[in-house]
Amino acid sequence: MATGSDIRAALASDFTPTVDPLRAAPTPTAARATPNQPRTRQPRLHKKPALRNRGRAAHWTYDTSTPPTRRDRLQVRQWRRAAPSADSTDVEPPASKFAKYDVKAEAPSYDDETYAQHLNHPDWTKEETDLLFAAYEECNGKWPVVVDHYETSTHRSMEELKSRLYSISATLLNLQTPMTAMTASEYSTYEVLKSFDPLKEASRKKLAEGHLRRPRNEVDEETVLLSELQRIMLHQQTLDSEREDLRRRLQHPVADQNGYQYSTSQALTTLWQQLLAADRAKKTQRLRPLEISGSRPSQSAASIADATSATPQTAQAVDMSKQDLLRFGVVQAQEKLPTGISFASDKLSKPRVAKSSLQTDKIAATLAHIGVPELIPLPTPAVVEQFERIMAKMQTLLDLRKVAEKEEQELRVRSAELGV
Amino acid sequence: MPAAPSKRVKGTQIRRHFLIGNTAHVLPHPGFPDPPPDGHTKGWTVYVRPLPNGPDITTWLKKVQFKLHHTYADASRTIEAPGPFEVSETGYGEFGVEIRLYFAQESGEKAVYREHYLVLAPYGPDDQRARQERENKIVAERLETIEFNEPTQEFFKTLTSEDQFNWLKVKKGRGKGKKPDYIFEGAVEPTAQLPEKAMDPGQAGAGGAWSVQYERQVLAQLQQSGATLDQMIEEEKRGMEERRRRLEELGVAIGAK
Repeated sequence: MATGSDIRAALASDFTPTVDPLRAAPTPTAARATPNQPRTRQPRLHKKPALRNRGRAAHWTYDTSTPPTRRDRLQVRQWRRAAPSADSTDVEPPASKFAKYDVKAEAPSYDDETYAQHLNHPDWTKEETDLLFAAYEECNGKWPVVVDHYETSTHRSMEELKSRLYSISATLLNLQTPMTAMTASEYSTYEVLKSFDPLKEASRKKLAEGHLRRPRNEVDEETVLLSELQRIMLHQQTLDSEREDLRRRLQHPVADQNGYQYSTSQALTTLWQQLLAADRAKKTQRLRPLEISGSRPSQSAASIADATSATPQTAQAVDMSKQDLLRFGVVQAQEKLPTGISFASDKLSKPRVAKSSLQTDKIAATLAHIGVPELIPLPTPAVVEQFERIMAKMQTLLDLRKVAEKEEQELRVRSAELGV
Repeated sequence: MPAAPSKRVKGTQIRRHFLIGNTAHVLPHPGFPDPPPDGHTKGWTVYVRPLPNGPDITTWLKKVQFKLHHTYADASRTIEAPGPFEVSETGYGEFGVEIRLYFAQESGEKAVYREHYLVLAPYGPDDQRARQERENKIVAERLETIEFNEPTQEFFKTLTSEDQFNWLKVKKGRGKGKKPDYIFEGAVEPTAQLPEKAMDPGQAGAGGAWSVQYERQVLAQLQQSGATLDQMIEEEKRGMEERRRRLEELGVAIGAK
């Protein structure tokens, strides 16, 4: 039997052998890897089943159509699978699978006379309103897109557009079904539409943006303040009562006489006798004479141990004439004498210094304001007493001022609360 | 061994007024070295003096120590009784002079410190400054009152003896063998209290300007200040009332909200 090679050999030598497609050619990479070797078939490492046609091939068609959800007449060419079995439903373009998601935003519509009757607005012309509604429908009710889409000569903010649309919707809803006939859900929708406040919305959005961009320390500060506020709110009651208390104490009448002079039993008896005598002189007697004298001396809130108030004791420790006492500068005892040596000018300088330097400054400023010199060169007992009285009043004034500050703060907070 | 403290007179206090201050002059001025040392523009005297009509200060004050600024040679100057307790120096800067007062032995008290700020430049209201410049004399002094609380008995005796006023009185002989009489010949009666009227207002440095009259002036001024203060308190009270009313209103309004 003549083989191919034989026939070839018999033919002319210019016969060039072509690659036989029937014979599986060695893989190109293998051929490239060994360029010097002639192309040979690589042995297969695994058994690959020969390609076999399992069933009938599916039939695919390539045609043009318009997606159902588009308004423009776009022609789209798509490969679509023809139905593999006859009992399936009609071929649906894949695009229509998504048709169910094509939800339109509902905006009420109006005609011209309704507009002329109910929907007129000084800032909005009919064209603008129509444009707004068209844009709304077009942009599917997404307001950021509507704002971009809506282009007129006057620049309108999102809130303005929203308010116009909502107010029109509300009015139309009202027209359709009067308020009394509305169902609950309709009524709630109506209420919501009516209560749209563009300014409030704008400020709310600004606030939210501010919140977003807050730095860390502000956040911390705010937490602290909020907790403080909470504490205050919780204890509102107690704070109020404390404030009342303070006010009552400040308005307490300051005694101009030293109460200490009445704390010995002798002085008390004399006081009692005096009061009794005074009472007897009155028409209606209120005191009843007792065996034992006993009222506590009135404690004045702002009394400083006044060393200069001289209520003479009954027994004089020194036997000298009054004139001599004066001449030699001898003073009979007050309640409590400091030991050793003291200086009168200290009584004019020590009360001016308070515990904190801020307080000292305040005292100095007030004293300067009322005209008390910094250095009083004459510390006689009368002057000292006068000065002490002034200092007592000064303390009251400073306390009043402190309370005033706190109350002002409270007032501000409360009025802010009301305003909000 | 410290002496046992003698009995104290209970319930008594003895007060003595005295003056602490300084005078200052622009150099050259009689009484100060001439030409003045380099850079020194002012001559000053710091002193501790009794009232011109008062009892002798040396009864209770035995020694005074003036502590000057450390830049002075011999910064610590001590003056003993009886000499006038004063220190004169030249200088150019103001500073605080620490004055240490040493008391008489019988008082049994420790020494105390007072401070006096040396004033060299004219001060006060304009007319006062003009006068100071004109006369070339600046006086800055203040009245101090020292109070001896519950003095010892001996101290009490010395402080209440008539001898204290001898320094103001004139000795008048009564004849041989008898103690000389001390008769007071001055205008104002000697007393430990302030004199009624200013004795000698011109001699401000000698303490003549202190008087009951001046005291009344100071009191009047203080009373005025007190009145102003009262007004301010009234204002504040009104404000408080107003605020209380508003607080209530707001409280009600918040509650109603």
